[in-house]
Formats: sequence, C-alpha cells, structure tokens
Amino acid sequence: MLRSAAVELANRSFRHWSLLPAVALFVVLTLYPMINLVRMSVSTIEFAQGAERWRFTPLANLALLRADDVIPAALRNTLLFVAAAVSIEMVLGLALALLVAGVARGKGLVRTVMILPILVPPVAIGSMWKLMYNYDFGVFNQALTALGLPAVNWLASPALALWSVILVDVWHWVPFVFLILFAAVEALPVDVLEAARVDGATRAQLLRRVMLPLLRPAIVVALLFRSILAFKVFDEVYLLTSGGPGNATELVTLHLYKVFFEQNQLGYGALLSLALIAAIVAFLLVGRQAVRTAQG
Amino acid sequence: MTARPRFIPASLATLALALSLCTPASAQKPFVEVGRQPPITVLISSTPWYPAFEKVVGVYEDQTGNQVKLDVVPFGGLLEKARNAVRSGQSPYDLLMLDTQWTIEFYEGGFLAPLKEIDAAFDLPKEVMSYGDSGYWNAQKRWRTAEGGKLMAFTVLGNVQLLYYRADLLRQAGLMPPKTWQDVLAVCAKFHDPPKTYGFAARGEKGNGIRYDWQSVMLAEGAAVVKDPAAGDYTVTINSAQGKSALDLYIDLLKRCGPPNYGSLGQGDVIQLLATGKAVLGDVVTAAFASFEDPAKSAVVGKLETVPLPRGRGGAAGAVIGNWNAGIPKNASDAQKKAALAFARWFVSYDAQRAFAQAGGIPDRTDVFTSDLAKEPRLRWMPAYLETQKFAVQELGFAEGAQVEQVLGLRLNQALIGEMSPGKALNTAAREIEDLFRKNGRRTGSLPPLPE
Amino acid sequence: MDAVLRTQRRVACATAAPLAVAGGGWLATCMLGLSVLAVLGPFAWILTASFKYQIAIYSGAWPFTPTISNYADVLFGRRSDFLANVVNSLIVASASTAVVLTVATLAAYSLHRLRWPLWVSAGFLGWTLLFHMIPVMTLIGPWYVAFRALGLYDTRLALVLTHVTINLPMTVWLMRAFFREVPPEIEEAALVDGCRPLEAFRRVTLPLVVPGLVASGILAFIFSWNEFPIALSLTSRELATVPVAIARFAQQYETQHGQMAAASIVATLPAVLLMALGQRFIVRGLTLGAVK
Repeated sequence: MLRSAAVELANRSFRHWSLLPAVALFVVLTLYPMINLVRMSVSTIEFAQGAERWRFTPLANLALLRADDVIPAALRNTLLFVAAAVSIEMVLGLALALLVAGVARGKGLVRTVMILPILVPPVAIGSMWKLMYNYDFGVFNQALTALGLPAVNWLASPALALWSVILVDVWHWVPFVFLILFAAVEALPVDVLEAARVDGATRAQLLRRVMLPLLRPAIVVALLFRSILAFKVFDEVYLLTSGGPGNATELVTLHLYKVFFEQNQLGYGALLSLALIAAIVAFLLVGRQAVRTAQG
Repeated sequence: MTARPRFIPASLATLALALSLCTPASAQKPFVEVGRQPPITVLISSTPWYPAFEKVVGVYEDQTGNQVKLDVVPFGGLLEKARNAVRSGQSPYDLLMLDTQWTIEFYEGGFLAPLKEIDAAFDLPKEVMSYGDSGYWNAQKRWRTAEGGKLMAFTVLGNVQLLYYRADLLRQAGLMPPKTWQDVLAVCAKFHDPPKTYGFAARGEKGNGIRYDWQSVMLAEGAAVVKDPAAGDYTVTINSAQGKSALDLYIDLLKRCGPPNYGSLGQGDVIQLLATGKAVLGDVVTAAFASFEDPAKSAVVGKLETVPLPRGRGGAAGAVIGNWNAGIPKNASDAQKKAALAFARWFVSYDAQRAFAQAGGIPDRTDVFTSDLAKEPRLRWMPAYLETQKFAVQELGFAEGAQVEQVLGLRLNQALIGEMSPGKALNTAAREIEDLFRKNGRRTGSLPPLPE
Repeated sequence: MDAVLRTQRRVACATAAPLAVAGGGWLATCMLGLSVLAVLGPFAWILTASFKYQIAIYSGAWPFTPTISNYADVLFGRRSDFLANVVNSLIVASASTAVVLTVATLAAYSLHRLRWPLWVSAGFLGWTLLFHMIPVMTLIGPWYVAFRALGLYDTRLALVLTHVTINLPMTVWLMRAFFREVPPEIEEAALVDGCRPLEAFRRVTLPLVVPGLVASGILAFIFSWNEFPIALSLTSRELATVPVAIARFAQQYETQHGQMAAASIVATLPAVLLMALGQRFIVRGLTLGAVK
C-alpha cells in the first residue's frame, strides 16, 4: 500500500525530480567558481600580508589582452590544431565505428582494444610520445633510418612540430569519437535499416540516406565535446613541446597556464579564460552555420 | 583522516632494523636535541634527490621520536598545492618546499612566517651556504638579501649546473677539461661527429630551459638582465654588446656541436644524450650526477667528470643557482611552526647534512664538502660544486621574475632556431621587460638598441 | 504493452547483418586490422618500455634485456603507495560514474521528453556546455576554498562530487543524443497502453539506450580515472589517485620512464575489468527489467 503510494508519487512528480539532482548539483558546485571567474576577470588580485587584495580594473585587464602579442600566434595554432585534429578524429572515429559494427564476432574485444589510448593518463602519453619522437633514439626515426630514409626533426622543426602534436592527439582521442559513434550505431533501430535494405538501397545509399541522418545527434555531440576538449588540450602539448620551438606550438591554454599559473596573474588569466570560452563559442556557432549552409 | 602507518614507513623500517640489532632506537643520541614535538606535514616535490631526503627524515624520526609526514607530489603540482595551502584557512602543511623562483611570491605575499619570529634564538650555522641570500627577504627593498632582510626559509637542496665531460675521451685525445666557453667550442668541435657523436649539449627549449642555461654564459660574458635591482635600478641591460656576444656564443655552441634538435632540448634530453654516451660535453644539474653512476640508467658509469661552468672571454665566471628552499606557512598553528623549526634546526646540523650527502642528497654546509666525504668516488662532483658556489648567483629575483622568464625563454629560443636575429631577439626582449617594469612602477630604462 | 515489448525484443534479437554496411569485404578487414595496429603500436611501445631499464629506454635499445624491476618498484617499492592509489581511483571513478550516469540520464530524459519550457531545457544545457568550456585550472582555487570550508578537503566525497560535476555536461548531452535516436512512437505506444511516465522510461525507453548508457559510463569512468588537477589539489598523499601517482614519476629534471610505463600498464587492467563489470551490470539490469 505504502509502496504503491510512493510509486504513484514518483510517477506524478517524475518530471520534476528527474531534473532536480542535476540542477541542484550544478547550482551548488558550479555557480560559485563561475561567478568567481567573471569577478576575477575584471579585477587585479594582489597578495600582501598573507591576504588577497582585489581591485576592480576591467580596463587594465582588457588592455593587457590587447597588448599581449602571444595571443595571435596562440589563437592561430589553436584553431589549426582543433580544426585538423577534430576533423581527422571524427572521420576516423566514424569509419571505425562502422567497421567494428560490421564485425561478426569479438566486438567487445575490439572495442576494448580501441579504447586503450584514452585509458593512459595524459602525462604518460606526453612523456612516452616524447621518447618515441626523440631525434636520436626515438622509434620513428629508428624506423625511418632502417628504411634508408633521413631522420625527421619531429618536435624541433617549427614547420612540423604542430603536426607531430596533432598526431598524438589523434592517437589519443579517436577512441573517444569511436566509442560514442559505435554505441550510436549499435542503438540504431534495426527494422528501419532492414526496411531500407528490402527497398533495394545500396550500401552507400543506406549509409548516406538512412544511417547518417539517424546518427546525426550522436555525431553532433561527439563533435561538440571533442571540439571543446581539443580547445582545452594541455598536458600532452606541454610535455611534448611547451609551445616551442618559438611559438610554433603555442596554444591558448599553454599561454593561459603561464599567465594564470606561472605568473600568478589571476585577473588577466581569468579574462584570458573567458576569451578562450568566447573563442570556443564562436567556433561552434560558425561551424554550425557552415554545416547548415552546406546542407542548403 | 589522521596519519596512517603508511606515512611513517621510514621510521618503521629503521625501527625494525634497530630491533633486529637488539639496540633500542631511543638509545641513539640525536644529532641535535629538539625535544618532543607534534607531528608535522611536509609538502615536497618528487625529484631525483627525494629518496635521500626521505631517508634523512627517517633518521630524524628515529632519533627524536617526532613524526614527519611527507606529502610528495608531482613537480608540476607542487606550486598549486603550496598556494592553496597558504591562501586560505589553516595550512595543511607545516613546511613547504619551494623552488627559489617561486619564493618571491611567498615572501612578498606575506605567506611565510619569518623564522626568527617563531623562535628569536634561531639562526643558521655559519657553515650553511647562503645561495645568494635566497632565504632572506628585505621587504623595503623588495629584494632577497640578508642586509636588513628577514630569514624566511632555509635551503634544503642547492643546485647548480656543472660542465660534465667524458674524462676517458678527453684523456685519450690529450685534452684538458674546458676552462672557458671558447675551450668548450674548441673541444666540442674535435669530437663532434653527427649523428654518431655530438660535441656538446645544453638546453635550447623554449622557456625556463634556455633561459636558465644561457644565463650562465651571459654572466660569464659580463652581461646582466637588469642593471642593479638590489639598489632599485631596473634599467634593462640585456641588449648590451656583452649580451649579444653571449647569445652568439650560445647559438654557435649548439649549432656547431649540438644535436640537430637543439631548439627543443630539455634537461631530460641533455641527460639522455650524456647517459647514452652520445654527447661528450654537457651542461647539466649537479643532482643528475648520481644517475650517471647508476648502470641501470647510464652507459657511461665512471666516465663522466665535472668542472665548474666555464669562464667568459673577460675571465668572469657565471652560474645560476636553482635551489629548493623550505619555509613555514604563516597560517600554521604556533605549535606546528615550532615543530617545523625544530626539524630545520636538526636538518642543518653537520651530522644530518652529512647523512643527507651519504644518502645521495646535496648538502648545504661547506664543512661537509671539505670533509672526508669529498674523497668518495661517487661524490667526486663535490669540489666542482663547492668552487661554483663561490661565484654562482640567483637570477630574476624580482616579482616580475616569472614574466621576464617567459619573455627571455621565447626570444632566446627564437634567436636559436633562426626565427629572429640575435640582435632583434635581445632588443625585443629588452623592450618587453622594460614595459613590465614600467607597468609595475619601477625605476627603469633601456640601452640603445643593438643593430638587427 | 505486449506489442511494444515484442517490437523491442525483435530489436534486441535482430542479427547484426543490417549494420554491416561497411563490414564484410577484405578491404574492411584490412582497414580494421591497420587501425588496431595503429592503436596498439604505441601502446605496445609503452608495454615494452615497462620491461626496460632506463638506459635501454634512453638508447631505444632493441632487442633488450627484460627486467621486472619497474613493476617491482611501482608495486612493492618502499616509497610506493601505488596499490592504494589504484584502490582510491577505483572507488572514486566507479562512485562518480554511477552517480553521474543516474543523475545525467534522468536529466537528459527529462529535458528530452517531459516538455520543459525552452528556457529551462536550453538554459540548463547551455549552462552545462559553458561550464565544460572553462579551463579546469581556474576552478581549482574556488573548489579548494569551498571544500576546506565544508570540511570535505582530502576526502573521497570531494573527489566524487567534483568528478560528477565535470562529467555531467558530457553525460547529459550524450544521453540526450541517444534518447533522440529512439523513435518516439515506441514510447507513445507504451503510454497509450497505460504505462505511467516513470514505467515508460524505465521499462521501454531505457533498455533501448543501453549502448548509449554503456558508452557514456565508460567515458565518465575514464575521465574520472584520468582526472589530474582536481585530484591533486583536493587530496593529500593517502587519497591520491592513479594519475597523481603516475605524474610523480615525471620528476624534476628527469622522468622515470620505466616506472611510469609500468604504472600505466598496471593501472589499465583494473580499469578495463571494472568497465567490463559495469557494462554487464547495466546490460543485465536493464534488459531483465524490460522483460519482467
């Protein structure tokens, strides 16, 4: 009796309590840091006598942003990094998801193997790839030399360094895209696909007309989150190149780390974070518009 | 959660050893009497010398019965944790290990308790090296100096770069270890045979790496970043003729004798080149010496020797100190502060420093360097180190240090990889550094630009 | 209701044949093989490094004399807390995954199907996305202060709560995408058949998004498992997690590559096992519920 009353209540108020925990958690844990970030971005924070002193200096922080001549190179590299890494990862991730979905046996095993790279902590990925890229002793140059080809300056050549970093990112993050899209392929309503096949659709038609539209929500989310994470990439690049040589692999996040963390410029650093967020939002909006235009 | 046994493994191990020898641990007479103290927690980074420090802490625990909990964190995470600890509430740590580059922020922010305010009778023994007064802070001058400054921290480990050379190869070729940077250039050219052998390796990577290593050459060539910061004169002098010749020399060294990836070499890479026997000369930290003597880590065991970094054309010597200082947070409780200071008193004693050196650390007392220990083959770096301390200095000891390092770290690297001429790189750096000082209201100025 | 269940069972029991758009031929097999190699190559390199002495790693020696000293050092070294670190990580990652999966799935379903006004759904989704864009290093300071004030500094609870928070945006968005893949007719039929909203969700919709739940769970688990900056700042040595412990091998001056590789390999095993268990739990739990 009591139980059915509880079930009744749970059903009637389902709409509300289903959303409540997520909202409550976000209010409690993100509101303060987010407001704090905005407040910092318009302030100069100094420390004296063991205490913080905040001054309201929105214009001074903006002036720092305008005068910061690392920003153009960092932004250019970041955009190139995100665009190249994410598009390669999306294509490979989708292709792999479709390939693995077609495997008759051992799907679970293949999936486990495929996600191994995201299981390795980024600090280990950075350190290990740095060794593999090593000019004199790295496995890549060993292979090239064995084939009679000249050794390559993977991380020290300004023209190549960013691409070497992108390659690591691709290895690291294709599994992320794969995992999401593989799940989406597995969840496709089978009868719809079967119907299309019965109607005589070829494989290519099936993929383009039926599967891709159905996979769209998952593709969009994978793209969305992969892009955001790519904008925020830090550990691997920091360990591989620290943004060098010169500014060849300088990224907004690396610069942010120097400003906010190493130089302890909390106010300007916070403004830089907001600028990064603005850049991500702009990138996503432009991307969405581009896709819409392309679809006519 | 309070301390679990895992935090005192060192004491347990030694206790077990002591029991097995049927000698009660308490029978050992402490190096220094410090009395019963509450347990303290130390924030420390993982470094090659950490095991030595841990061992010495174990000795302290056994001798005094006082507990020391070591929170060892990744090098890249220490500063964050130290800042969090001092910025709010009561500090979870009673002793913070700080890289000297970070100490200014903690001194100037008032986050550390001056050691004499914890105990007016406390002083460092005269044998303890000053490391460019890095433990003192003169708040009026905003400068690290014992003159009118308060003692804020003591050095746990002082590091300088030494010139490592392959004694076997030089002997075979009948060459003396280099005394000047010109010697280095001459010697390295004799051995340079890429890709089999590189004559010389030093850091060229953007950031701290190239800044730190280049500054030794800069000092030897008689150049300075800032005119006289101790006296408040922040005129930027890096783009002097001496600065330019130091940069030309450094680029020359790496281009002529370094590996092809000289523009991205970090400390780990230089160590790797020396350990594998690929490089003949190398500019590396003292703390790496032990690794070169470990067959699991080195193919050149017993073959590397050290001399102080070479002199410049004018005969001046230059080396930059990079030490770890330990300070006591202002927001620790009084009893905790006293307990941390008690450990400090014990740690800087001759016996403790000697034990530290024997365990693989770098002691901070001159009398340990002049003791019989210096004769041990594995500690044969000691004379070169002690000699270096006579001329080594602290650099960038002002609040803008981290920003100046970023400027120099980028511009020097750009000059090295050929993105900018050395003259232009130094002019640009000088302009940027002057801007930083001007913004902070310092008395500053600059030299006429170098020809680009 | 029966009709719905029948449709559903048909969905679940259908063979994989129609999915094999790209599968089959030798070309596909070749490509798959290459991909597996590309993924495994660097991983195998890490595996070999874990059996090498530092000097063999430095010199890229091949062949090399294998050693288990790295594993011995990581697992049983006098300084090592690694097994404790693994246990901490397992607890934090599985607890935070369980919580975030529950909370986010409910929220995603609610926003997707339960007709919230636009300002609520778009507002909340936008908020999570913006939060996800914030560089983590700017969150750490405020969180440290907050958790110290609450007396939760250096507790696993603090890590679980923060990991749930940082993983919530992705999980909500992912689950929403998977719910959108479910044809609305199936659930509408259930509601018409007299299912209550909660039952329709639990018995009809949820079993259809099992692959999505598994994928989101795996990702939330991995992101928690590898999270470094927050775990570093909110805990001290005894509650340190695996990535913090592994980062310790990246010492000042020189990295202990062998130990780092060994630790990375050791840490992978329990993570893979736990993910497999978690997946089985989700699949069993939900498909049983559906048939009941």
